[in-house]
Amino acid sequence: MKRSLWKITAVAAVAALSLTACASGSGDDDAPSTDPTAPVTINFTWWGNDDRAARYQEALDLFKEQYPYITVQTSFAAFPDYWTQRSTEAAGRKLPDVMQFDLSYLREFNQNGQLLDLAKYVDDGSIDLSGYDETLTESGVLDGKTIGIPTSTNTFAMFQNPAVISATGAEFPDDADYTWEDYNDFIAQASSAGVKTADGYQLYGAVDYTGTFWFFIQWLLQKGVTPFEDDGTFGFDEDDVVEFLDLTADLRADKAVYPIDRGTSLLPKGGFTVNESATEMSWDNFLAAYVADSGTQDIALAQIPSVEPGEKHLFFKPSMLLSAGANTEHPEAAATLINFLLTDPEVGRIFGTSKGVPADEEQRAAVETEEGSVDARVIAYEEAVTEQVTESTPIPVKGFGTIEAKWKTLGEELAYGTITPEDFASQWFSEAEIATS
Amino acid sequence: MTLTAEVTTPPATPAPPPGTARKRRQAAETRAGYAFLAPWLLGFFLLTAGPMLASLYLAFTNYNLFAPPEFTGLENFRLLFKDPSYLKAWQVTGTYVLFGTPIKLIAALAVAMLLNNRRRGKGFYRSSFYMPSLVGASVSIAIVWKAMFIDNGIVDQIGQFFGAPAGGWVGDPNRTMPMLILLTVWQFGAPMVIFLAGLKQIPNELYEAASVDGAGPVRKFRNITLPMLSPVIFFNLLLETIHAFQIFASAFIISNGTGGPARSTLFYTLYLYQRGFQDFRMGYAAAMAWVLVVVIGLITVLFFRSSKFWVHYSGEGK
Repeated sequence: MKRSLWKITAVAAVAALSLTACASGSGDDDAPSTDPTAPVTINFTWWGNDDRAARYQEALDLFKEQYPYITVQTSFAAFPDYWTQRSTEAAGRKLPDVMQFDLSYLREFNQNGQLLDLAKYVDDGSIDLSGYDETLTESGVLDGKTIGIPTSTNTFAMFQNPAVISATGAEFPDDADYTWEDYNDFIAQASSAGVKTADGYQLYGAVDYTGTFWFFIQWLLQKGVTPFEDDGTFGFDEDDVVEFLDLTADLRADKAVYPIDRGTSLLPKGGFTVNESATEMSWDNFLAAYVADSGTQDIALAQIPSVEPGEKHLFFKPSMLLSAGANTEHPEAAATLINFLLTDPEVGRIFGTSKGVPADEEQRAAVETEEGSVDARVIAYEEAVTEQVTESTPIPVKGFGTIEAKWKTLGEELAYGTITPEDFASQWFSEAEIATS
Repeated sequence: MTLTAEVTTPPATPAPPPGTARKRRQAAETRAGYAFLAPWLLGFFLLTAGPMLASLYLAFTNYNLFAPPEFTGLENFRLLFKDPSYLKAWQVTGTYVLFGTPIKLIAALAVAMLLNNRRRGKGFYRSSFYMPSLVGASVSIAIVWKAMFIDNGIVDQIGQFFGAPAGGWVGDPNRTMPMLILLTVWQFGAPMVIFLAGLKQIPNELYEAASVDGAGPVRKFRNITLPMLSPVIFFNLLLETIHAFQIFASAFIISNGTGGPARSTLFYTLYLYQRGFQDFRMGYAAAMAWVLVVVIGLITVLFFRSSKFWVHYSGEGK
């Protein structure tokens, strides 16, 4: 009786312990081998929606055909959750072998050597960047280490919904040389028309664009201000922030921008994607998503406004970088996958411009640009504005992701009228000081 | 501490003289008891106490998950009280606790009293009133709630019919708090069941005697039900208050994790999560967690201190 009691206890204890131990057991037991084609398994993760997942799956099926000895285990998440997962992994030095990366988080993850220096593989040709523009590859170099390589580029565009514009009767100014004031006039005109949709919602000219940090950066560049210095300090002060926010002060006062409460309840969609707002500024690769979400096929891309007529000071933002965790046990396989995703023409065809215009020449050429298609419009736009792209990409400071998010939160409060532009500026700076230190 | 002391006691007793088999069996049973407890104890020390100590240390450091923690003394706590969002988080959480908890308890008590009298089909009514508490904690109900209160959702449509201003509750910073308080009040099931048990224990003779003396229902409620129920009220109040401080899931889902609109749902724990896992400021988040622990501890002490003025235990006279 007594003995059996002890036995049961022991069994229960062992069972409980082994259950907890499951979590720490790692399955990868491929010993490092000199044979380059010995079977290996690597992890690959990205952020994005189902559409992107399907495209990645298609690309990885091709990869499997060419490199049958490399097994790729995949996972993906939405952007905010993605960084929560990566930061937790970084704390335990268990980052995936290959992962999609964003410029805003590069500096943070570079601390403590979390990301693999890919220079070795670029030099020996395992990652072939011959089809790349050199200034673009530099964006992933920090402290002399190549820790990320962009897949594609984005730049800002003004998206227009022709049906909504004509319904309001407002006239969009000539996009070649209109200023922010001209754009404001358009917004005011479109919103004040008071036209309503069949469901009874009023049509507006646009959302309050001052709520997006990147537009502030773009505006600074147009004013000739370098937003971030190499040492991580800011090239602007609270007065600049207030001046930018005051661009739309009258629109806010007259309730001529898309109402924030309606916008909030529409999330993750927005006024533009439910066809209630005539225009929206964003990265040009958003076209595919806009068309899909709004069901409006003929969304047009125009140029964004500027401070001085015609001087756009655009920049190409390198996007969807690929990086490898410094803890990877299979750096060669990781490099092979990165090279395949960045340079294989078939991969370029699979993704089109959904991740931005491909950076690699051959991939760009492989994108099927059927006349009038989404991809064709985006590529045509980037070609049209090439001469306006005069700025190099602002180097995001450490903590960029945080200060960008903070800008958005404060922008919301400004839209609700709970804070003034001055409050906004002082709160944002106090936050930025901590985040970037 | 007391646990480990007790664990070491049994082996320390001298070997029992022959014939005291009973004592020996007791000692064996004690050992077996601790053996059965072992998985839980291990879990407690490894998964709860250990991480808590680690977080206490992190509260005094600057730690961003990437670089090793750097000791900064009280810096995090100093920054906390300069942070407008932090103060806002207290304001939001305080409002929620202050209004949500009493309303929820009143609703729970009211329903419990109704169900206490009911004769027919009371099992059915009890289950159906308890149901929201079972499903209410889940993620799905927060999503349903959001859909109900959104722009042009069912609540908005009914409200407009009665002349309320149009537009959803979800996007209006003035209406998100009432919406979340409604959500918690609706989940009154757990305190209700406890109230019901408490009501059942009040001897019927008391009410009968009061009736003989000519007391009306209000008088009976005030002079019999409330005092007799006060230990249960105390228990529920304490539990629900602590619970309310920890609200996270519903606010996270309804605001998409932002605490918006305009920080109106920036609850303490939600802000803590943002600081830790979105801003990568683990030291700061740990400091926040410890301030919350201390505050909840103080409130608990206050409750216990105040209890001797208003909580009556029927066994006290004996």
